[in-house]
Amino acid sequence: MSEVILQVKNLKKYFDTPRGKLHAVDDINFSIEKGKTLGLVGESGCGKSTTGRVILRLLEATEGEVFYEGVNINELDYEGMRKLRKEMQIIFQDPFSSLDPRMTVSEIIEEPIKLNKIITDPKERFERVLELMDLVGLSRRLMNTYPHELDGGRRQRIGIARALALNTKFIVCDEPVSALDVSIQAQILNLLKELQRKLGLTYIFITHDLSVVNHFSDDIAVMYLGKLIEKAPAERLFTNPIHPYTKALLSAIPRPTLDKKVEKIILKGEITSPINPENNCRFSDRCNHAQDICRASEPPLEEVFPGHFVACHLFKE
Amino acid sequence: MSDKLLKIEDLVVHYITDDGVVEAVNGVNIGVDRGKTLGLVGETGAGKTTTALSIMRLIPHPPGKIVSGSIELEGTDLLSLKESRLEKIRGDVVSMIFQDPMTALNPVITVGDQIAEAIMIHQKVGQSKAAQKAREMLEIVGIPGNRAGEYPHQFSGGMKQRVVIAIALSCNPKLLIADEPTTALDVTIQAQVLELMKNLKDKFQMGMVLITHDLGVVAEVCDDVAIMYAGRIVEQGTLEEVFNTVKHPYTEGLFNSIPNIDDRRDKLKPIRGLMSDPYNLPKGCSFYDRCDYAMPVCETQKPPKIHFGETHFVECHLYQEQQDFKLNGGKE
Repeated sequence: MSEVILQVKNLKKYFDTPRGKLHAVDDINFSIEKGKTLGLVGESGCGKSTTGRVILRLLEATEGEVFYEGVNINELDYEGMRKLRKEMQIIFQDPFSSLDPRMTVSEIIEEPIKLNKIITDPKERFERVLELMDLVGLSRRLMNTYPHELDGGRRQRIGIARALALNTKFIVCDEPVSALDVSIQAQILNLLKELQRKLGLTYIFITHDLSVVNHFSDDIAVMYLGKLIEKAPAERLFTNPIHPYTKALLSAIPRPTLDKKVEKIILKGEITSPINPENNCRFSDRCNHAQDICRASEPPLEEVFPGHFVACHLFKE
Repeated sequence: MSDKLLKIEDLVVHYITDDGVVEAVNGVNIGVDRGKTLGLVGETGAGKTTTALSIMRLIPHPPGKIVSGSIELEGTDLLSLKESRLEKIRGDVVSMIFQDPMTALNPVITVGDQIAEAIMIHQKVGQSKAAQKAREMLEIVGIPGNRAGEYPHQFSGGMKQRVVIAIALSCNPKLLIADEPTTALDVTIQAQVLELMKNLKDKFQMGMVLITHDLGVVAEVCDDVAIMYAGRIVEQGTLEEVFNTVKHPYTEGLFNSIPNIDDRRDKLKPIRGLMSDPYNLPKGCSFYDRCDYAMPVCETQKPPKIHFGETHFVECHLYQEQQDFKLNGGKE
């Protein structure tokens, strides 16, 4: 049956700031099955990108564990991590700043293969680069161009080719289409989906755009101020959201249609500070339903329906 | 009497660079009625912002140049006005909100003073009166007036955009140009700001040009929609006309590219290829090489303007022979 490829246990990441500890990621738990996509959504500052980076150990966790295929990656040494990185990759949001401007397209894609000594014969390596370019839909004639000559969509394709260069199994996609126009965005989303099918990839898909994530994910986890507040299969989360924040978030999306008007839930205020948070529901300041209990203690994440987890004192179904 | 507030006719704007001439806007006709909102929709490079900047005559010159056309605001031709007259209009009769509230504000001046500055320039009031009006404006956009003495960095992104809106509205403009006003904001904050803009538009009875790439935002805020592609308006009509009876293949492609949140389809249908190079626009229809319905005539001849009723039109060859041509909704 389905096997869990990645498991995150009680993961915490705090940053030291002059005003105290910033709780970027605060005690989150989840797991992903092989070949599936977990959508990680939330607004700016909720800790979704930090989560992605801690999972790849681009940032060291403050506490907690990340298991990749049963191995606790926080305990691996430099050499062990280096081996693992061949399988775990990341695609960044901004294709403009994540590519070396002084390398050509083929050099960028070739670099990881060369550094990891996957293919040592230059001729074979070049063949592999061409193969990767075909795979992501980059025309071969662009081989010797530089990133600045290309548009955002093509640059993002280079980023994807680079992430796939090492027989990757697991990719953290950090807002991979946010910087692109809608028509190009759809091209890249279709490409990522097709690659997943072909190569059996597992994705964590980090985004603030719920309509993209609905289209793309098997499971969706919603974060708010470092906490995971709701997690469910995509279909269920969209038809049956439980947490008041998830509901507000879903209703706030402008829908490009005139027939179905969704009643908007306008939230009060803005996201509060993640520095030294109090021991309460972090959403209680903005929640339209908040009661004394919400301000007094932190709600735990509970399974209210098979596969559907919610952290809320008031709503459980 | 006509209710036309703004009328742009045959506007052509080019950027003349060392590498050639960028044909950014190629004959745009749009109008905005008093109290109405026009949504100007298109992708990066379609010429939306260039059109908006031309209204304020803020195109950087050189390299930008308004080649031809006319822009009339309440019957006054803005293109023939002297710079000194224009300065009286900018910020007073016409205001603009930019996409990025982080860079639109001066970091070393308090927000109260930044709002008061606009008021003092355009209205004959003293400092204390202007400061008081500035505090009132802050309250209108939902920020406590006592925060007028704070600096932009002390506000969050959503609040900064509210400050920018307060500045734009401080002189009761008749026309507000909003260039992607909520693109940099989170969705829940975007919902707050859009709500605010809708309310204020009704309160001040302004006309508005809303530039955006997000058809969802258009559906919520606009009365009329103009779809822009490669420097031309390819389809225009009321919100209902454009959303319910899509006519142009590009508009259809835009709708098909958006992941529909209420319908988990397996595959998106993107528009293939890329927008044509504005250095070198094709001879015929600019959308020709990306269009699924393209015919031989599209390659060689500019598409005609075809009207469906009084307000709805497209520029497309498809309807020339048969007015009742139906797009197939992107199905194979």
